[in-house]
Amino acid sequence: MAWWKRSADLSPAPGPKGQVPAASSALKATLKQADAADVFDEAFLGRLELLQVIARRLFRGRQRAERKTRKVGSGLEFADHREYSPGDDIRNLDWGVLLRLGQTLVRLYEEDEDLPIRIAVDVSESMQTSGGGKLRYAQQVAAALAYVGLANLDRVGLTCHSRTIHNSLPAVRGKGRIFRVFEFLRQSPRGGATDLRSALKRLAAESVQPGLTVVLSDFYDMDGAFDGLNLLRFRKHEPVAIQILDPAEARPDPAGVRGDVRLVDCEGGEARDVTISPATLRAYAEAHERFCAALHSSCRSRGIPYFRAEIDVPFDELVLRMFRMGGLLR
Amino acid sequence: MIALTLTGWTLAELGPLFLAGTAAITGLYLLRMRRRQLVVPFAALWRQVTRESDTRRLWRKLRRVLSWLLQVGLLALLCFALGDPRPEVWLREPRTIAIVVDRSASMGGPAADPDADPEAPAPTRLDLAVRRARAELAGMGPVDRALVITAGPEVAVPGPLGRDAEPLRRSLEGLRPQPGEADLGRALALARSALAGQPGGEILVLTDGALDPAAADALAACATIEPAPTDMPEGTAQDPAVPCRIAAVAGPTASVAITAFAARRYPEDREHVEVLTEVHNLGDAPVDVVLDVAADGVSVGKVPLTLAPGERRTEVLRDLEAARTRLVAELSPGPGTDPAALGPVGDDRAHAIVPPLRPFRVALITEGTDLFLEAALLTLQEHIQLTGVGPANVINNPAVDEADLVVIDLGADPLPDPLPARDLVIFDPARRQDSPSPITAVKDLPRPFLTEQALGHPLLDGVVLKDVNLARGSHLATLPGDQVLLRSLGEPIAVLRRESGQDDATGARTIVAFGFDPRQTDLPLRTAFPILVANLVTYFEQSRPGFVASVPVGAARPLAVAELGLVPDGLTSVEVTGPERDGVADADLPSTRIPVDRGVFRLRAQEPGVYRISAVDGAGAGTAVLLAVNQASAPASDLHDRLADLQLPEAAAAADAPTPLPVSDGPLWTLILLALAGLIALEWATYHRRVTV
Repeated sequence: MAWWKRSADLSPAPGPKGQVPAASSALKATLKQADAADVFDEAFLGRLELLQVIARRLFRGRQRAERKTRKVGSGLEFADHREYSPGDDIRNLDWGVLLRLGQTLVRLYEEDEDLPIRIAVDVSESMQTSGGGKLRYAQQVAAALAYVGLANLDRVGLTCHSRTIHNSLPAVRGKGRIFRVFEFLRQSPRGGATDLRSALKRLAAESVQPGLTVVLSDFYDMDGAFDGLNLLRFRKHEPVAIQILDPAEARPDPAGVRGDVRLVDCEGGEARDVTISPATLRAYAEAHERFCAALHSSCRSRGIPYFRAEIDVPFDELVLRMFRMGGLLR
Repeated sequence: MIALTLTGWTLAELGPLFLAGTAAITGLYLLRMRRRQLVVPFAALWRQVTRESDTRRLWRKLRRVLSWLLQVGLLALLCFALGDPRPEVWLREPRTIAIVVDRSASMGGPAADPDADPEAPAPTRLDLAVRRARAELAGMGPVDRALVITAGPEVAVPGPLGRDAEPLRRSLEGLRPQPGEADLGRALALARSALAGQPGGEILVLTDGALDPAAADALAACATIEPAPTDMPEGTAQDPAVPCRIAAVAGPTASVAITAFAARRYPEDREHVEVLTEVHNLGDAPVDVVLDVAADGVSVGKVPLTLAPGERRTEVLRDLEAARTRLVAELSPGPGTDPAALGPVGDDRAHAIVPPLRPFRVALITEGTDLFLEAALLTLQEHIQLTGVGPANVINNPAVDEADLVVIDLGADPLPDPLPARDLVIFDPARRQDSPSPITAVKDLPRPFLTEQALGHPLLDGVVLKDVNLARGSHLATLPGDQVLLRSLGEPIAVLRRESGQDDATGARTIVAFGFDPRQTDLPLRTAFPILVANLVTYFEQSRPGFVASVPVGAARPLAVAELGLVPDGLTSVEVTGPERDGVADADLPSTRIPVDRGVFRLRAQEPGVYRISAVDGAGAGTAVLLAVNQASAPASDLHDRLADLQLPEAAAAADAPTPLPVSDGPLWTLILLALAGLIALEWATYHRRVTV
């Protein structure tokens, strides 16, 4: 009966009938053998279930797969007109316009279909510095979002990338697939340099169907950080930017490292001999803040949701904040 | 430069250690200087904020070298400490040094000091000597000993023999030149005596070389003594000679001094005095000075003088009123003359006392028949006190016993026996066979002639005895030392004898004997007779005690109380007070009671000025006289260095003072280790503050 008590402890928000969901029970049973140092440990799963309950309350009453695509097709909601061309269904001809203006225009409708959620996790070297805290955090956030999406019967796919696409998990549906998500995140190859432009370009090209694309990265790409997001937008994706930051990297401790050092980028490149002083550290923190603010400003100007996630903030708080602010789920 | 000797590890051992350590430090330093690698996730952003200038790069290179040098310096200090370095003065044989400082008046002269501050007062030669003595004391090793002897007119030991330099240094504080000359003979003898039996004895004489002949001889004798051989067998009776080294302090030699200053009353006019001043230019250049003589604070004469080098000028101020008794002569620079040209100030001022006016008591022993002699004496009544005494009243007659001069003119009557124990003038002393006169007759001279007289003798000054007729006379017997005043065809007829007073009954006295009776000659009818009588009185008056106007400064100078005008009868001690100072009451002046032995006491006057000598007891108890004390010594004022004239051996010249040691005692390596620890702490602090990284 020990597992029962534990499962009760891990389910602060039981189901409507007081039963633990089957997927959750199986999940906990699996995690009994999980490594304590595992990213997706038992505590993580407990918080994940809590997230799922909260997300359900937030989106109660909504129909599953009710997202609208921007694809113009056979839906009910008018979207636009276009010139008639031979072969078009004559039923869609806008007779009113023809009578009033004498132009043959075809009415276009938004097609209702469930949008896939693609979660792109940056697994480059820059995400693994300082003990890999950022990558671990990104994996947890990705898993949480995937779990919530799966729980909402969305199709959720994952992609791990750096400069290139390392590995992709095709879109799956259903909560029971969460283990594939975990396994995918665990087993995916890592490393490489950060190049969001080329990675997201490739991601957009490989996507059969545009959808909600959540990009989890530190965006430490001076040139292509925003370009990649913008490219997704051009390809009819709905990008969401989540910038994972390590506070220790964003604002180095002035009492920490000082003196003459050789700066080496974790992703390679030319080393540089510099002298680090408290003034230098302050200047770096200010430059880092300006960089993040510029990224945020660019995203806001293009209507791209942007979230800054510092790894000392619990991931579930971040996810809840995202839910409350909207934009991720509709 | 301090010479150090390694008593621990030798250089041969320390050299390889140092080289190996330096190599290790260099290797480790190169490793440490490798930059720490800092892996950052966003190097592009770091590049935006890290810029470095060439200047900073240069400074960083330099401070790296400094850091390396610091490390090597630490190693060098460590090796040095392992060597246990010790100054050679700690290792050599113990030394005992007697520092003899010349305190004579010439040491107050200006010194040539190239290091002197032009704004500060010019240092004296004594200042330089004291500085050198301090340097010697500072260079003493822990086992060395020293004593300080000062040689002025008196010799003193302000710093007794000891190992602690501090009391010796204190003994040099406030040292001032003393008026007069240095008694180097006694000082060197004292130094040799103090160093007898002491290991490594050495005498260091600090002098300017301006020495009087006696001091120069003593110094030459000391400097030419060869040190005793070191292999002298033990038990040798001969005392080992103490080497004598001389460190000379030089300076300008310009000096003008008052070398004599005295006053006397005119014999014929005792209400007036004449003042004699002798000024001596002891320098090498002509000088203009002004001599100012003041009596009781009132200037009575001001004489500008231009003195050639070496010139000695005597100035006499005549016919001054004798009412003022304290005379002061002072030299000042003439217009346009540098005050430094006068040299030390101690010899630019002199004091004199006008002799007190005391009646000269003359007792005339006569039977009353020689009116000419009485008349001649009575004409001098202004300044003599004449008392006539009959031949029967001579014995125990106070007028005779206290008389300054007794004139005996008894003709054919016998002389009083014994003769009074005073100065005597006796006419015809050997007329009778039973005469008690110490001047006896050889034979009678019938009708003698005064054919020869001692020209220039003060008794016969202005006396013309040509063609004087004598009825009879005596050929007087003379003794060695007698002065023959008159002769008759070569045979003495008037004699002056000085008796030394070996016979306690009579004491010292002077006897003038004329071998003829004034009644048997026409001399009293001549002009020469009263002149002769006046000369007799003046001669004895000037030679009587009480004419001491001034004495030189010096230690323990014997003085007869009678010469000062005090009554010696029953006097066992005198009180010496002074010297007088302006604005200081007599009661506040230093006073010393000095015993009087047989009418003589030893005056110890260290400063020029006017002293008061008071009779404590005896017949003249309570009476006091003034005594002037002056430097008045040309050798003492002469600033010329006489050392070159002594032809001293080269070895007698003292080497430079040893370099003072930073520590007086104790293992030096402990201090080195302390310095090492300090440097390590400094390096640690700078490294961890990223100053030397």
